[in-house]
This record gives sequence, C-alpha cells and structure tokens, in this order.
Amino acid sequence: MTAPTARRGFTTEAVDALIQRRDEPEWMRERRREAWTTYQELPMPTQQDEEWRRTSLRDIHLEDVELSEDWHAPTGTLLPEAERKETFGGFLGIYDGRRVEYRLDDDLKAKGVIFTDMATALREHGDLVREYFMTKCVPASDSKFAALHGAFWDTGTFLYVPKGVAVELPLRTIVAASLDGTASLAHTLIILDEESQATFAEDFTSPLTGNAGFSSRVAEIILKRGANLHYIGVQHWGKSVHDFHTERVLLDRDSTIILQTVELGSRLSKGRVEAILHGNGATAKLQGLYVEDGRQHLDRYTLQDHRAADGTSDLLFKGVLTDKSRSVFSGLIRVSPEGKKTAAYQQNRNLLLSRTARADSIPNLEIGANDILGCTHGATVGKVDEEQLFYLMCRGLSRIDATHLIVEGFVDPLIEQVPITGLREALRHEIQERVSVLEAQ
Amino acid sequence: MEKENGHVEPVQLVIRDLHANVEGKEILRGVNLTVTQGETHALMGPNGSGKSTLANVVMGHPKYEVTQGEILFNGINILDLSPDKRARMGIFLAFQYPSAVPGVSVGNFLRRALEAKREGYDPNAPAEPTGQMPKRKGIPPAEFRKMLNEKMRLLKVDNTFVNRYINEGFSGGEKKRAEILQMAMLEPSMAILDETDSGLDVDALRIVSEGVNALRGPKLGVLIITHYQRILDYITPDVVHVMYKGRIVKSGGRDFALEVDKQGYERLIQDLEASEGSEETVEA
Repeated sequence: MTAPTARRGFTTEAVDALIQRRDEPEWMRERRREAWTTYQELPMPTQQDEEWRRTSLRDIHLEDVELSEDWHAPTGTLLPEAERKETFGGFLGIYDGRRVEYRLDDDLKAKGVIFTDMATALREHGDLVREYFMTKCVPASDSKFAALHGAFWDTGTFLYVPKGVAVELPLRTIVAASLDGTASLAHTLIILDEESQATFAEDFTSPLTGNAGFSSRVAEIILKRGANLHYIGVQHWGKSVHDFHTERVLLDRDSTIILQTVELGSRLSKGRVEAILHGNGATAKLQGLYVEDGRQHLDRYTLQDHRAADGTSDLLFKGVLTDKSRSVFSGLIRVSPEGKKTAAYQQNRNLLLSRTARADSIPNLEIGANDILGCTHGATVGKVDEEQLFYLMCRGLSRIDATHLIVEGFVDPLIEQVPITGLREALRHEIQERVSVLEAQ
Repeated sequence: MEKENGHVEPVQLVIRDLHANVEGKEILRGVNLTVTQGETHALMGPNGSGKSTLANVVMGHPKYEVTQGEILFNGINILDLSPDKRARMGIFLAFQYPSAVPGVSVGNFLRRALEAKREGYDPNAPAEPTGQMPKRKGIPPAEFRKMLNEKMRLLKVDNTFVNRYINEGFSGGEKKRAEILQMAMLEPSMAILDETDSGLDVDALRIVSEGVNALRGPKLGVLIITHYQRILDYITPDVVHVMYKGRIVKSGGRDFALEVDKQGYERLIQDLEASEGSEETVEA
C-alpha cells in the first residue's frame, strides 16, 4: 500500500493528480482541464467587483487547502437521529467525497429513476451526465469559484426522474465532510423530465474544527416542461469553513420549483441562488433562511430571471443575526422583453438580536417588459419589537422565552413548509439552541 | 394570603400616590386606588387622563418611569419586578391594542403562557443561579386541550382560532375575544381590562362582556378602564372612579357611571374644580 500523499493548494499538479487518481471518462478529464484553464484565466474577485463589495477574501488561503487522500470511514449512519423514523424513497450518505450509504426503493428503480452519487452516475449514466454536467446550467465559465469547482469537484448527488414519473417519498442525501483544513466540492445535478415530480433534501455537515475548511458547492437543477420539484438544501458546516456556492434552476414551460435553502454554519458563506424562467408559465418559489452568530458572515446574491411569459417568482429570504455576525442580501428581479404577464416578488427580512450584528439588503429591479402583472420588492432590518416583547412578558414569559417565541414565529413560516417532519423538528431545535447559546453569553 | 387559622385573605392591588412619567412628561400625578379580589371597579375618564398609562405602569411597561409612590400586590411592592413576574403573580392586562406576533399560533402561545403562569413567581425564593435555565414543567397535551376547549366554549370562540397567528389579521372583536380567552386560560386574581369595549359593535361587546361576566367571581378582581359607560350596561361594577389629569378625582357606586355619562366629563370636572379650587391653589 502506498502512503497517502497530502497535497496542498489548488494547483495544476493537483488537477493532474486528481485526474490520474479518478477513473473517469476522457471527456470528463478534458472538462476538468478546461475548467482549470478557465480558473487560471479568470481574475480572483476583489472588493472592487460589485458582487464582492461587502465580502473580503483576505482571510481565504486557497494555497493552504489540503487535498488529502487520507480517508477514514465514519462510524454508524449519517442520517440524523431525528430523521430515523422517516420513510425516504432513497438515501445517500457521502463522507469525505465517498459514498458510504446507499438505498433506493425498487419500484423507483423499476420506473427508471436514477438517484445515486456523482461518481456512480458518471460510470453508469455517462451520457446523461455528459449532456447536463456544467453545460447549460452552471458552466465553469460562470465564475472563478464555479471554474475551481469544475476542475476539482469530488462528489455529490445525481438525480434523474423520467417523464411522467412522480416520486412520492422524499429523497435524502447527507454530505458529511471532516473539513479540517481540507476541502469539499460537492456537486448536485438534478434533471426532472417532462411532467415528473420529486422532493429532494440534502444536508452539508461537518464538525467544528480548528483549521479552516474549504467548500465549493454547485447545484444544477434542470426542470423540463411541467416538472415539479421541492428542493431543500441545509448547510451546517463547522464554523471555520469558507463556503462558496451556486444554486441555479432552469425552468422550462409550466414547471414549478420550491427551493428552500437554510444556512446555519460556516465562517463565511458566499453564494448565489438563481431561478431562470425560460419557458412560459413557470413558477419559482425561492425561500432562504440564515441564522448567524459569532463572527459569521453571509453574502447572498439572488436572481429571479424572467425570460418568458406568464412566469411567477416569489422570493422570501429571512435572517436572524446575533453577536457580531453580518449578512448581505442582494437580490435582482430581471424581466426580459419576452417576460409578459410576469409576477415577481422579492422580500428580505432580517431580525437583529444584538446591537453589533449587521444586515444589509440591496434589492434591484430590471424590468424590460411593459405588461407585467406585478413586481414588488421589500426589505426590513429590525430588532425584536419592544411592544411584542412587553405583550408576551405580560403573559408571564421571561424576556428570554419571549425572544425565543418571537424568533420562532419569525422563522417558522419557512420551516413549516419543509415536507419532512424529522428535518423540520431538527431545524426548529437547532435554531432555538443557537438563540439560547447567545442568550447565555 | 393564608393566615394561621386557615382563612384566606383576599388579594389586593393597592396603588399609593403613584406618579409616572413618559418621555419626561408627568402623566400620573398621584393615583390612589385599591381593588380587592372579588370586586369589579370601573375607571372612567376623558382621553389623555392617564387611564391606559396606569394600566401599563401596573404591568411594568419599560416606557414609563415611576417617580413616586408604590404599587402593592398581595402585600408586595411590585415596582421593581419585570412584567413577566407580575403576570406570574396573578396580574393580567387585557390590552387595548394587543400586539400581533406573526408566526406564533394562539394555541402555542397559550401553552407557553400557561406553563409560565404555573411556574408562578415567589419573590421570597432564592434567585436562580445565573446562566441556568429554570426547570420547565410541561402541561400534558390532553389536559391543555381539554381546558382550552372548555374556555373556548365558554367564550364562544371558534375552534380555528387556535391555529391562527396571535392577533395577526384579527378583527377588532377577535382581538378582544382573544384577550379574554387568554385571561380565562391564565386565571389571574387581578385583571385590568384596558378599553376592552373600544372598536366593538354591540354584538361583539355583548359577547366579550358575557365572557368577562362568566369569569367574575370571588377569586377575581377586575378593573375596567373605559371612556364610555356602555360596557357598564353589561358588566356591573361595584365601584366607579373618574380619572382626570393623572389622578382619580371622584369615586362612587354603580350609579355614578350613569351620572357621569349623562352629565359628561366636562361638566363633572368643572363642578369638581369649582368645589376643590382652593385645594388646588394650596398644592400649587
């Protein structure tokens, strides 16, 4: 056996080593090389760039990230305790880049549903992956970090639902990583064929570590005519992780997505959530929730891109911030001249629990069509309302309990829409714990 | 308060020479009032006389600063206690304008409030060690459900109420009924109803009043704050007080309310000022 070789930094040698190590088809190897070239060509974003104006990369040292081949299997199942009584159509457990748990209902297999890890998908369904992997949804040229992802992606979920198939039970993935000075580059690729339907939830989780971890995630979601997806992504990386991600959904005619993202972990989380409505009559409901404490920094860019008629998009992002945490929300609604009868709504609401927390909200509209149904945006940043607190305290609740209840009420309308009971309860619990920790300080 | 012979003294709310400011302006200028468990008092007065301020000061609203006087409840000065402790001792305020708390259902809220109430507050108990959350006694869901159904029936409240967010999108009448439902669940020994009649049509006023009447009894002291006499057609008070410029200027029996209503505040106050003019001069 050869001793594991620790490699440091994202370099040409590291790409070559990765290509050598992984038994992938030549076209994928070529894509990795191309992505690496793109990465080298693109400048590192600076705070002169509008999208990066409020987020500094000063503390990110990509040259120090370890691309280790060292691997220790986890003990026990990755599925959280709270969800062990749930019934899933399929479950995928990924640990440090490798599939460690896997199950898919036979009837789904029989119907042609493909739900597996990316490496297996590449081996067994190469043509599908080749057609959709970082081609039309999130190409490597999309951004510096997308390019890095294209070169170094390591794992993730592949989901394909054939035409007309409805997957009734939710599909579930847990991506766990040690992220102790190391990296995770998970790729999610979802293709829902015409008139198909599914619910998919994935978690990104890592323990609290001393060394800065690095994560670059990309989720590509392609919905064909009439397809219907409920996607839930929960990020609870350890608090020393730097997380970069892009979640983008392409919506064809009459397709519908509910896309929920919950961001709880990481030191820095910089990402995009985008819905491209390119077919007539598509509907996108985008919901985000972030809970930040300590010195966490979250910077979110969202896009509702209406390129076709009769589309509806409804975005609601809510943040709870404590300590010295900071959030930046920058959302754009863009309606092309083709976007007739568009209805687009955007709301960002932030609840500050400390005087030192800060939330910035920057809404933007670009309306190119002249007969839209409605287009509104709104942003709020506020403390817990003193009159609400007094009211609740007059019913016997202590200041802490009253604050908890107000936070619960603030986040719950989003959480209650998560269609998995165990996950919903776990999220409620995790958020309340976070608020309690703050109050005890 | 239990005495040695087992006889239970009725709880009293005693307000003595209470002065309070809001934003530096004196609103309460020496209020004296005693309400005993089992009694119903009405506090009337024109707008701006300080009635709602008094209600808020009794509960400990942070906006008001008490500059003089004391409020005793069950013999204990409560002025230094936070609103939640006052509530857990048994004081209840039905708000004129109850806050909406989006995302929190009436049912969830009532359960938490009832848990807090049952925990109670003993001002003589040693302080909790800091950083330690107090132990919470949960209420069995079946027991809670049963109690809630009972109270909702009593107050003719619709079942769907429980799942709605507190006061969000409630009509004026629904808000007031929700307040009385909370009062019914928490079973206070002293309830202050702040302009519970305002904004209600005759039917809503009747339903709310019937609710309050159903809760009245030897264990409940009630202070009804109102601008108009009409709620007193439904809830008969034992004592009626008139407040003016931050003080209670006259008190009387149940018929006094009718007198006030017929006469109007202006006339009443003119008469009072005429008869007490000399006293005012001395004070000034």
